[in-house]
Amino acid sequence: MSPDSSTVLDCTGMQCPLPVVKTAQAMKRLEPGEILELLATDPGVEPDMKAWSSRTGNELVEVRKDGDVFHVLLRRT
Amino acid sequence: MTELWRGDAEGKVLYVQTHGISDPGRCATPFFLAAAAAAMEVEVAIYFTMYGPQLLRKDVVDKIGPKGDRGQPLSYFIDQATSLDVRLLVCQPSLELNDLELADLIDGVEMIGGAAFNEMAMQADAVVSF
Repeated sequence: MSPDSSTVLDCTGMQCPLPVVKTAQAMKRLEPGEILELLATDPGVEPDMKAWSSRTGNELVEVRKDGDVFHVLLRRT
Repeated sequence: MTELWRGDAEGKVLYVQTHGISDPGRCATPFFLAAAAAAMEVEVAIYFTMYGPQLLRKDVVDKIGPKGDRGQPLSYFIDQATSLDVRLLVCQPSLELNDLELADLIDGVEMIGGAAFNEMAMQADAVVSF
């Protein structure tokens, strides 16, 4: 499902605000158009990533839950 | 002279922390939220007033934490916020209330006054107080 070129950021086991903070830092290292796949178990990650992407102008491509792990795909704009 | 807001971000959030060391469970949340806001590319400051300046004491930040001896010390949450350019502000009367001087506090804390605080509050998109 994930594009081959995506960078994976594993934030499983981390609590707010670390997934948000680490996502912001990781996205800054990507080129426009590149995808970040965030893995997180924080139950608030979906609303957090909606808010974060809306605020920063990056694209929230997909949020998928696989067991306890959320897979969040974000495209750097 | 200390600038009020730098103005290089789309939004501004000002947090106000009034709680001190007597209630450690209330010490870290403003730093969490400030870090999350800073990660949203928003300009963020935390103003420490009433008992709040106690949380910035050099001799306190490694000795208390929101869950006592379990979990991270307060300094961990402060560093997380300041590494994202969250600014820490105090005013002189609050330092006096707590018998503190700026030199007693961790590095990087900025001194402002009541007029500057009010102006920052009026310019901010949100003011969140604890």
